[in-house]
Amino acid sequence: MRRKLAWYIAGHLALALVIIFFGAPFLWLFFSAFDPKASAEFRIPEKFTLDWFKAMYEPLGGMPGGVIPLTWIVNSIIISVSTATLVTFLTIISAYSLTRYRFKGQEALLSAFVIFRLMPMIVVAIPVVVIYAQIEGIAKAYALNIALLNTFHGLVLVMSALILPFTLMIAEGYFRALPVEYEEAAMVDGCSRFVAFMKVTLPLALPGVATIWLLSFVTAWGEFLLPLVIMRSPYMYPASVGIYYWFGMYGRIEYGRISAFSLLFSFPSVVVFLIARKYLARGMAGLVTR
Amino acid sequence: MSPRTGGSRFPYGQLLILPALIMMIAFILLPIIWGIVVSFTDMSLVGPRAMKLNFVGLKNYLKLLGDADFYNSLRVSFFFTLFSALLGQAFLGLFLAILMRQEGLRGKTLAALAVFVSWVIPEVVAGYMWGVYASKRGLFCDMLSLLGFKPRNLLITNPLEMIIIANIWRGTAFSMILFSAALESIPNYIYEAAHVDGASAYQRFRYITFPLVSRALLVDFVLITIWTFSVFTMVFVMTGGGPAGKTELWTIFAYRRSLQPPYEVGYAVASTNLMALLVLVLVLLYMRMMKKIEVRGV
Repeated sequence: MRRKLAWYIAGHLALALVIIFFGAPFLWLFFSAFDPKASAEFRIPEKFTLDWFKAMYEPLGGMPGGVIPLTWIVNSIIISVSTATLVTFLTIISAYSLTRYRFKGQEALLSAFVIFRLMPMIVVAIPVVVIYAQIEGIAKAYALNIALLNTFHGLVLVMSALILPFTLMIAEGYFRALPVEYEEAAMVDGCSRFVAFMKVTLPLALPGVATIWLLSFVTAWGEFLLPLVIMRSPYMYPASVGIYYWFGMYGRIEYGRISAFSLLFSFPSVVVFLIARKYLARGMAGLVTR
Repeated sequence: MSPRTGGSRFPYGQLLILPALIMMIAFILLPIIWGIVVSFTDMSLVGPRAMKLNFVGLKNYLKLLGDADFYNSLRVSFFFTLFSALLGQAFLGLFLAILMRQEGLRGKTLAALAVFVSWVIPEVVAGYMWGVYASKRGLFCDMLSLLGFKPRNLLITNPLEMIIIANIWRGTAFSMILFSAALESIPNYIYEAAHVDGASAYQRFRYITFPLVSRALLVDFVLITIWTFSVFTMVFVMTGGGPAGKTELWTIFAYRRSLQPPYEVGYAVASTNLMALLVLVLVLLYMRMMKKIEVRGV
């Protein structure tokens, strides 16, 4: 029994170290967001305040007039909702094609998705910026007005393309696992193949479709490099890029406000991942034991 | 007329994947090909060299071979990947997965939550937190001084060590979840039988757990190596690559060379092409491993 006690103590000690290592960084973020005298130093505030959260409407020093932190949240919502919706739509119709038909090159496509998914973002990001700039330049030479840099659609298009390989891999496994018998029954009753898929299988797949939307949403929500290189004006920044410039600004860093903003900004990501945990394991299993 | 076999002659169903394919070709494949072409030119982001393709042969690649900054970024990326992915995340993840399976431990849920949340918060927030947490006045230093270390700005004195620790914190969850799944697939009766036969805890790990998770371990190694090698955001926000290039990963090197002065796009893209080639080798290795697993049915 003595050995058992030793294990018990060692186990708890290890667990405590794990909690300290992974939990401690959050302590400062959390307390500084509610501390009226927030600074880089960690302390438990004598008085808790919600002022830093209320300051989301106040203009930012060092940024052009009219930019308030709320602008960035709104931009993030516009970008992420458009991206997630576009990605989900394309993923569903592609999943139909991938799982209900067999055609040449299907295996090769799935391999290509893996390669695309694992390519470092910067490899694509630098060319995209320059290509955008060139397209704008060429259009200008022909007196056309095409804007891609510093626009929402310019960002949403690239971001969607880069999220697609990930969602397609999840959807392929998910839709393949759904039974085709109901669809066949609907077709016997006179539905066309696609209608049978949309009316019969899609409702069955709703939890999976919702998860795909949510995962694309948070991926776009947290994305930093693409908006960093595409957005030029502080009015167009999403929250991720906003935090970076806010933190990097010269002069006094407004720790309390940035921390409060970071907490608000992190909230959707944490909630979605907690909801999608089960499906995430499935998507990961797809990457690990296809 | 079953959904699995053909109906009409015109491939409507196949066509439905086209929109997604066009997106990926236009925004992933073409930029990569464009990058290969441009790496043989002296293109710049601004000025007269921005619109014209002026081919210079292998000049960019030869210049990379003699560029001390490029070698420095390779060295930083190498140590960053080796220590934070292979030695840090993989083994800490395995340890955590085993720890989480032990019965009778209180606080497991809290620990798992802390690990998981570190992984899912936006990367910028993680960079901001750690940029302050590891600074001279930050909590990390406070804790070290409790252990008797002199307080100092670790982001200045030990920047590479700090981004490695921060990245272990950030990414361990993936390995933990992966190994938890692998461990769950090991039936309990094997352990019970070994226990009856008098195997010690170490022996059970050495002869049962380890051989059975070694495959997952390999897959984990390759994946987290690729991901860690590609890290940009967290380190960029934490240190910006500084001080004096001590944390300048190859991703940050390429970003600064192309999108900040001197705006040498052709040169920077040449460097990312080399790295992409390296990643491609790893990805192919990974896909081969997956195929083998599929065949053996593990």
